[in-house]
Amino acid sequence: MLRTEEMILNVGPQHPSTHGVFRLILKIDGEIIHEATPVIGYLHRGTEKIAEDLQYTQIIPYTDRMDYLSAMTNNYVICHAVETMMGIEIPERAEYLRVIAMELGRVASHLVWWGTYLLDLGSQSPFLYAFRDREMIINLLTELSGARLTFNYMRIGGVKWDAPDGWIKKVQEFVPYMRRQLAGYHELVSGNEIFISRVKGVGKYTKNDAIAYSLSGANLRSTGVSWDVRKNDPYSLYDRFDFDVPVRQEGDALARYECRMAEIDQSLKIIEQACEQIPSKGPVLGKVPRMIRPPKGETFVRIESPRGEIGCYIASDGSKEPYRIKFRRPSFYNLQILPKLLKGENIANVIAILGAVDIVLGEVDG
Amino acid sequence: MNLEQPPSMEGFLSFFIYVVPFLIFVLSFVTFAILAERKVMGTMQLRSGPNRTGGRFGLLQTVADVFKLLLKEDTIPKDADRTLFKWSPILAFVPAFMVLAVIPFTKHFQFADIGIGLLYYVAISSLSVIGIVTGGWASNNKYSLIGGMRAAAQMISYEIPLVLSIVGVIFLAGSLNLNTIVGAQQSVWFILYQPVGFIIFYIASVAELNRVPFDLPEAESELVAGYLVEYSGFRFAIFMLAEYVYMFAMAAMTTVLFLGGWHPIPYFEMIPGAIWFAIKFSLIFFSLMWIRFTFPRIRGDQLMTFAWKGLIPISIINIFLTAIIYEILS
Amino acid sequence: MIGWLKGMKYTLNQGTKEKITYQYPEEPIPLPDRFRGIQKFYPEKCIVCNQCVNICPTDCIQLTGKKHPDPKKRGKIIETYDINFEICILCDLCTEVCPTEAIIMTNNFELAEYSRSKLYKNLDDLNNHVTNLREENKA
Ligand code: SF4
Ligand code: SF4
Repeated sequence: MLRTEEMILNVGPQHPSTHGVFRLILKIDGEIIHEATPVIGYLHRGTEKIAEDLQYTQIIPYTDRMDYLSAMTNNYVICHAVETMMGIEIPERAEYLRVIAMELGRVASHLVWWGTYLLDLGSQSPFLYAFRDREMIINLLTELSGARLTFNYMRIGGVKWDAPDGWIKKVQEFVPYMRRQLAGYHELVSGNEIFISRVKGVGKYTKNDAIAYSLSGANLRSTGVSWDVRKNDPYSLYDRFDFDVPVRQEGDALARYECRMAEIDQSLKIIEQACEQIPSKGPVLGKVPRMIRPPKGETFVRIESPRGEIGCYIASDGSKEPYRIKFRRPSFYNLQILPKLLKGENIANVIAILGAVDIVLGEVDG
Repeated sequence: MNLEQPPSMEGFLSFFIYVVPFLIFVLSFVTFAILAERKVMGTMQLRSGPNRTGGRFGLLQTVADVFKLLLKEDTIPKDADRTLFKWSPILAFVPAFMVLAVIPFTKHFQFADIGIGLLYYVAISSLSVIGIVTGGWASNNKYSLIGGMRAAAQMISYEIPLVLSIVGVIFLAGSLNLNTIVGAQQSVWFILYQPVGFIIFYIASVAELNRVPFDLPEAESELVAGYLVEYSGFRFAIFMLAEYVYMFAMAAMTTVLFLGGWHPIPYFEMIPGAIWFAIKFSLIFFSLMWIRFTFPRIRGDQLMTFAWKGLIPISIINIFLTAIIYEILS
Repeated sequence: MIGWLKGMKYTLNQGTKEKITYQYPEEPIPLPDRFRGIQKFYPEKCIVCNQCVNICPTDCIQLTGKKHPDPKKRGKIIETYDINFEICILCDLCTEVCPTEAIIMTNNFELAEYSRSKLYKNLDDLNNHVTNLREENKA
């Protein structure tokens, strides 16, 4: 009898489209996947364990290295957790600077996603266009914080530096520029028939699946759940801004694409408002004790990172180091649904699905 | 030169003298085509492209690359089928060069003016897939294997619309001889009589060339490099060479079949035919590059659907319509 | 049918735009003042307070001090000061805590070396940086 054999294909850990050191063991029959097993941990650095021996300020640079595409949000989550525990007031200017930095980071992160996703789908140019605009954001953030990716910009109680002269102006100029570029991106990609046929109906899941798998971010919003921590559980100053949460109903890769593109637009809107509202001067660091010792107890805070809901749990025993610290890293949770999505798919869809989930391996492995 | 002459030393020598410069010409074309592609790609992607080796325009970049490839260690995977592994670049390379023989570049510059030139072209060019499939299989690598299989499926599927789309041209010219075909386009190019045929031929030729959006066999981001995964050094260089020579042949063929070969557009007769050929050829070549920079890759099943449910029926209808209209008008 | 044509037009248009490549090795990259490169260390300013060692998240600073040679002066002066650039993450915390600005950042970022041992920067290495010093070191 004629019979085809199953073949085991190792995608990764060194593979151009796994966005890092991620390994996927695929059992394939021809080009159809029977089973997919993700293998993670190649980039595990034990951030949470290391953090148990560090003072709170020292943990901040480690969080930069988790989700290295939007380090600002990671900086914020740890600062926010400690501030919540200690009840520290943050000066307004500092908080605005944080919001601007975080939203710029979100735009940069989505741009990287857009470029690499299109690269995964076989189109080269978008990658370079996206990186041109991301480079502008990176330059802005370098001017602000002094580093290109690992900013270590936020401090417990505020931020490290005030914005340099004319920086806010530059950001304000960047916003309309980015809007124009975004329109160009839509022209280049969003209407392309080949692109749409590649992503439409691919990697589909339902609202219930998304909630059951604890997805967050655009992965959740693409299924019709309007859940954005910035809106539903406002932190920082997000209740002062007027923005929408882009939601799509289809739950496929195209819906996720549209959500993220719309989010760039909303972030620009927030940046614009924040640049207008920011007090022209004022302190950028609140009253913080010299040695940061949160009171005994525990806390959990969550914020919206570009990839989803990033949370930080701290159990403190009252000393200057946390007793236990735990990050809810959205990429890790979002990745869980992958084996389910890949089953029965074509190999060419693997990267279309994996890319649409938008993972950062530094964050998956922690 | 004439192919019917009995074999003789003079015959051999005269062919040799004609062919070697031409081969050198084609090789230098490939060199600069690669450079041009990288330069144009750079410009469209806001980069400068190669600009270090060989002056400001990177004129020697490809030469340097070729030397690098030739000097590299020759590695063959341990479990590869050694014989086939070595043969497959040659299998891919020979047909690409063989088809050049029949292409009429100008009225007089052609190597073999054979009666069934078009058939010869189509037949020989379809052989190059064998090199790719054997290469993918002989590497004993799963990615190569999938790449090779995709290549086989794709190239065989697109061979059919490619051939069907030129049937209309054969009707109009009444011959399979490429010279006659170009001659028939003296007044009107066949792209005007056969627009559908042209579009199908163009799409199918992009697919035959394994270029974006049909670059599935070597899908960089999925299969890493498909059938090329295990190839390095000069074998890789030969595969690349075959690919670009084939691209040269395809662009030349499009010019010959649909764009009137060396014929000038009216009122510009003073420009020699060779230059006209070069201009049309470059246009086709540029459009191939341009598509590459813009499009994402199509998916395998869509590729098949597109060929079998789209291109093939349309090209068959095109044949019938051409035949009917041709009958009515003549 | 229209979508891909728009895309083709877009890529063609981009061909006319200005290039954005940095001509990096020939032209240095412009960096803002706050950029964090390798540290500059002023031994004469250091009061051996050990704060930088304590704050460094990767424990890459090692220093020793000795008594002030001038018996009338109190305090210590620095004797050795090493930063292990294999693990320094240029986080800026050491310069932030230093009370006397004895250690500051420079904009020099080209730190690649052929051997690991060269990445251990001692007091002289760090003192020898004289270019691209950062102006603004305290927020
Ligand atoms: S920059 Fe950070 S890691 Fe480097 S020496 Fe200073 S405190 Fe340590
Ligand atoms: S913090 Fe400054 S003064 Fe104190 S030991 Fe370090 S370099 Fe010297």
